[in-house]
Amino acid sequence: MGHHHNTKPRVISRREMLGLSAGGFGSLAFMGLFGTLPFGCKRASHLETASNLYLGPHYLPKAKNVIFLYMDGGVSQVDSFDPKPRLTRENGEDPRKKFKVDATQFDNVGKILKSPWDFKQYGECGMPVSDLFPHIATCVDDIALIRSMVSNFPEHTNANYFLHTGSGLQGRPSMGAWMNYGLGSENKNIPGYVVLDGGLVPPGGLDNFKNGFLPASYQASVFKSGPEPVANINPREGIKNLQEEKLQFIKQLDSSLIGKIGEADAVESAISNYELAYKMQSSIPELTEFKEETEATKKLYGMDSDDPNLRGYASQCILARRLIERGVRFVELTCPNVGPGVDRWDQHSNLKKGHEKNAHAVDQPIAGLLKDLKSRGLLEETLVVWTGEFGRTPFAQGSDGRDHNPSAFSMWMAGAGVKGGTIFGKTDEYGYRVIENEVTVHDLHATIMHLLGLDHKQLTFRFGGRDMRLTDVHGNLVKDILA
Amino acid sequence: MYLRRINVLILFCSLGVLGISCDRSQQFSEPLPKVVDFNFHVKPILVQNCYLCHGPDPSSRKAELRLDTYEGATAALKEGGHAIVPGKTSKSNLVQRIYNEDPGQIMPPPETNLKLTEREKALLNKWIDQGAQWKEHWSFISPETKMDLEDPNAIDFLIGKQMEVKGLEKVPIANKNSLIRRVSYLLTGLPPNPKEVEKFIADTTKVAYNKMVDVYLNSPAFGERWARHWMDLVRYAETKGHEFDYTITGAWKYRDYLIRAFNEDVPYDQILKEHIAGDLLENTRENKETGVSESRLGTTFYVMGEGTHSPVDVRQDEADRIDNMIDVTTKTFQGLTVSCAKCHDHKFDPITAADYYALYGVMESTRFSPVPADVSKDKKLAAKELVDLKTYMRKLVASKWSTAKNSAENAELAQNTVVARTNENYTLIGDFRGSDFDEWTSDGFAFGQRSTLGDPIVDPATGKLLGLQEGKASSKAMGMGIFGALRSPNMVLDKDFIGVRALGQNSSIRIIIDNFQLIQNPIYGGMDQKVNTGNWNNFVFNVAAWKGRKAYIEIIPGGYERHIYNLPEDAFIEAQYAIAYDGEWPADMENGISLEQVNDNWATLDIPPYKVKMLNEDLKKGKLPLNFPELKPVVDSSQQLVNRLKTDSFFNGIYDGYGIDSPIFNRGNYKEPSKEYIPRRFLSVLSLGDSVFKSEGSGRMELAEVMLNKDNPLTSRVMVNRIWHHLFGRGIVETVDNFGLQGKLPSHPELLDYLAVKFQNDGWSIKSMIRAIVTSETFKRSTLRNDLLANKDPNNIYLASFPVRRLEAEAIRDGILVVTESLDSTMYGPPVATYLTEFMQGRGRPGKSGPIDGEGRRSIYLEVRRNFLEPMMTTFDRPIPFSTFGSRNVTNVPSQSLILMNDPLVAQQAELMAEKLMEKRMIGFEEKVQWIYMQAFSRLATSEELEKASNFFDMLRTMEGKADASDNQELAVWKEYCHSIFNLKEFIYLI
Repeated sequence: MGHHHNTKPRVISRREMLGLSAGGFGSLAFMGLFGTLPFGCKRASHLETASNLYLGPHYLPKAKNVIFLYMDGGVSQVDSFDPKPRLTRENGEDPRKKFKVDATQFDNVGKILKSPWDFKQYGECGMPVSDLFPHIATCVDDIALIRSMVSNFPEHTNANYFLHTGSGLQGRPSMGAWMNYGLGSENKNIPGYVVLDGGLVPPGGLDNFKNGFLPASYQASVFKSGPEPVANINPREGIKNLQEEKLQFIKQLDSSLIGKIGEADAVESAISNYELAYKMQSSIPELTEFKEETEATKKLYGMDSDDPNLRGYASQCILARRLIERGVRFVELTCPNVGPGVDRWDQHSNLKKGHEKNAHAVDQPIAGLLKDLKSRGLLEETLVVWTGEFGRTPFAQGSDGRDHNPSAFSMWMAGAGVKGGTIFGKTDEYGYRVIENEVTVHDLHATIMHLLGLDHKQLTFRFGGRDMRLTDVHGNLVKDILA
Repeated sequence: MYLRRINVLILFCSLGVLGISCDRSQQFSEPLPKVVDFNFHVKPILVQNCYLCHGPDPSSRKAELRLDTYEGATAALKEGGHAIVPGKTSKSNLVQRIYNEDPGQIMPPPETNLKLTEREKALLNKWIDQGAQWKEHWSFISPETKMDLEDPNAIDFLIGKQMEVKGLEKVPIANKNSLIRRVSYLLTGLPPNPKEVEKFIADTTKVAYNKMVDVYLNSPAFGERWARHWMDLVRYAETKGHEFDYTITGAWKYRDYLIRAFNEDVPYDQILKEHIAGDLLENTRENKETGVSESRLGTTFYVMGEGTHSPVDVRQDEADRIDNMIDVTTKTFQGLTVSCAKCHDHKFDPITAADYYALYGVMESTRFSPVPADVSKDKKLAAKELVDLKTYMRKLVASKWSTAKNSAENAELAQNTVVARTNENYTLIGDFRGSDFDEWTSDGFAFGQRSTLGDPIVDPATGKLLGLQEGKASSKAMGMGIFGALRSPNMVLDKDFIGVRALGQNSSIRIIIDNFQLIQNPIYGGMDQKVNTGNWNNFVFNVAAWKGRKAYIEIIPGGYERHIYNLPEDAFIEAQYAIAYDGEWPADMENGISLEQVNDNWATLDIPPYKVKMLNEDLKKGKLPLNFPELKPVVDSSQQLVNRLKTDSFFNGIYDGYGIDSPIFNRGNYKEPSKEYIPRRFLSVLSLGDSVFKSEGSGRMELAEVMLNKDNPLTSRVMVNRIWHHLFGRGIVETVDNFGLQGKLPSHPELLDYLAVKFQNDGWSIKSMIRAIVTSETFKRSTLRNDLLANKDPNNIYLASFPVRRLEAEAIRDGILVVTESLDSTMYGPPVATYLTEFMQGRGRPGKSGPIDGEGRRSIYLEVRRNFLEPMMTTFDRPIPFSTFGSRNVTNVPSQSLILMNDPLVAQQAELMAEKLMEKRMIGFEEKVQWIYMQAFSRLATSEELEKASNFFDMLRTMEGKADASDNQELAVWKEYCHSIFNLKEFIYLI
């Protein structure tokens, strides 16, 4: 593989590591030993193959963490954040007589379709939001809305890969992996890139969350709800303390191996890895049990709702907050599975029912998250990103659905470094195409990275003879939404 | 855009003559080489220190001086003088400037915070003194060696030579336990059997080691290990990923092909040929046991890429697919990153965009197809005999009907309307009512090589002649159940509709647009139509949405179900003609026929359609004899031959299409093509790279030949370097997939060239190369290093000791199965379904999970589903299959520990091992521990380890006792002990 390096990472000396051979398992103070190295990368040899190791930001960051609320399937912009009265006026007319209609994936172009929801203005900024999101609407003064997003792909999978990795093809590193490669994790007992699987893995599968050509340590850890939130996190030993005893025994034997071989660095790292793994076993359950969360907090997110999907998403939102509190760099929430025929936001038919069910499940938890973060002072250092992979057509697919539309969609960000109450970009009168201040997915990536203190042009990794970037050769900052 | 990170600048901003005083004959810890080489000694200094301001990029160049070309470096400077005057250091401004002490004059300038070392300065000085010889990039110069190719000590000599220069002292040979473990794991991916260990230790003869090596080289497990290495290069997967993760038919057959090839030590040049052009080889290689052709399986590597579900822009999809094919092909076989030249000339390597698009044409001219997996010489023979029998039947009828010849001559042409091949409403794409296929390609055996026109129709029961066939393309021309496909040349879609007049059963007509194969809804569903009609029917394809796109028509018995090709036994398809048209189906087509080219050879009944018609009428009227008893045995023999040709097993492969040259896509965008078309050829920088391929097809055969041309500097080097990499954990060129300017320089250039020349000289034998390397002393060294070595060569580049390394994902899992004696060593066959955990969700998830232990099979036999990759494999760094990975990452993450600590498979295996141990009824505790150590570590436990084990057991028994005093206690404690053993680093590290 074509890795090179010009910059050597800080290497922990063998002597520093040999603290290992003393003391019982779990008794060592590993915290702080590893500086700001990424999770799991104490001094692993792979770092030496990295082309360029930026252990830390390029400039002063506004945000420390990102919570990425992924609206899988593509929310309709004209039904959520981009009101288009003309659709109401021309409801039922032939769109092809009004404007040029692009090829779509399902090629079943129907009539112009007005939004089934009313829009009202909210907050001091007066941002219009549809009735789909009454709770998020109460947070608009913290939200910077971009109405001029475009994607390169009208298919889910390509568009998902594109949004997650900056490339429409499979196998590239996800943005969460890039952020961790660039910044590392603040917590050594929890992975720095976590995906909370709310029930739906997006089309394209787990490759949306992978490390691609970056070392495997940067891939997402998928958390699920249930008794084993992370793969292999629960000890199998039925007897208390048995695992500790075994690990102690293992460490004893391993330590005596060190003296017998040369080039022991990698082996030493593998030994200390057990320490981390052991700690993860206790830190993850502590994290996913909400023992210290008050009833009021839970209620804020909607944990008392009758809608099980809402409760599920609320619990993911609380977990997201708990993760970033513990220094996890990048948390992504996937959508809950709200039921057959209307899963994800992909309403090729049955727009009203589908969007309503999906919106109901996520609206209150998201608003709860924004408010909770704010009240704890965490919104100042956390960037919340809300987006789908593309938008939907202003005309119907069949009679009551909307097809994919990569030519315009709305997304928003809130929190650290973002100018709340802003609306950026403009679509045409139908909400079909962007006519002002187009923002590409590369621009979005560049802006997210910028808020984290990373220069998207500088964070590179040599692979296959090229210095690869999340933004490839593209990307401009969306300066107007920055505080 | 490519970013260069060059830290140091040299600025030649102004020039002045300064006195230079320095001692240029000083001594260095590492003496200067006798001959200073541009590539190895000089260029690294220039690249690191000078090229940012004096390199290839004109936009950042200072003082109009470039040091990346000989012409630039020796050109007259703007301010007078020359940076380099070959052979004249005193006249070379470069020398004056680097030795200058004046901060305003010295190069690199002080503000760069960089300084040349005295040795670097001396190297530059000596190089100029010796004539400043410029050389091509090292890897583009053909390898040469002065060493004796049969010298068994050559490797050690060449390694030793560089150790001496570095002042390193080699460590002793490793103990025999370590050696057999090392050889066994590296050659077969499995730990040695304790019996083999004992045998090797007991064998004190001189040949013991070499004998042991041969055991593992000849083990069937060898192929399983080395096939997997190769699979990393070709992004091996059994599904296509993307949205629904469709199956790649018969991918596993390619995996089995690799295993057989490595086990049989098929020469590497043959392996290369079979990959690049296995479908075009005249002399195919057959499986020794089954007689089935192997060669074409190699081409499956082309189809291992990702497959997009309903791409809206099908042309872009093709461009992406071809890019991946070029990327994998050039990295794998040439160690070059040609894909970098997609958007513009390569920034670093002398690879142009024209080179890229020359190869693009090769790939674009290559079509995809199901390929029968059981083609043998016998089948080819049977097919030929069938054709001969048909000709015989025709001749027989012709001779008996000789009287009719003259009356046929008088038949009126006017019985058929002759229609134009094209008018404003339609274009005839293919007419099979004449005697040929109208320039369409017939693949496989089903359609034969001509239409049915004039074929005698014989009642098989009586041998009575029923008539002569009219002209059509028929997949049952030979018989049913035989694979074949009839495909049109490429066309540009310019009409709204394509029409095919056809009939058949369980068969398909497909329109392949821009080589896109995953035809289905939404978007493409209408491009694959099922044919299930006994009468002639007009099959209409609306292609209006793809006007301007390149396409071809495929007429094929059987069809695709979820993109898996099936050929039911009753499937057949027949077609008369195909057209492209606007508006209504042209009415005159049905009766009309285009007869531009009419054969008329009575002796073989190769006669025009109107004559066939007339003869059939005469036959009906009783004017012609119809009793042919001689035909009955012929029909019977034909049926037997047909049975030999039947097939139901396929793999996704390729076949050669029609040669297409591609334009250059400006900035990689197909919407901006260049005016000129780039002829298909190889890379211009390499030998024969300018010779245009002459083939009417893709030119892949020629591509394979130029790669294997004796002057190609890369093919052999790249492969021996891969072998070295797998044995030592690091290649002589560390960037095993990149031998370009941005790749690393070889640590041992002479050794690399020696091995490359030897490899070719030994007939490209991979096993011989491995044997030569593993029998060297260098390979046998211990891993133990002293501090001196650690300081002088911290990364063990010079191999004074053997490098410690972690085992690969497969070796760890397979190792566990071996030591618990639960490995099922069955080879080959369809993959074992992926074990699906709760965490593996998403579209395309199989309905059923595979077994947790993969049925005890080796990891190479576990399914590789792109969207559901085995977590244990990916966690231990098996690459994600999207590009070539000649060298795996070696990461160290807690999830690896968590797998070994908590994964149910590992716990299950520990329990199994404990059960085995109980069954063995060994008496003593010590004996049991020793058994485990021999199984797991190929050595006996030390007394210290025995004591620790004993203490551990005491503790376990106490704990277990508290919890559970049942009879199972003994089993439970041994299980915990075995589980601990899997968690020892010695188990996953080769030391």
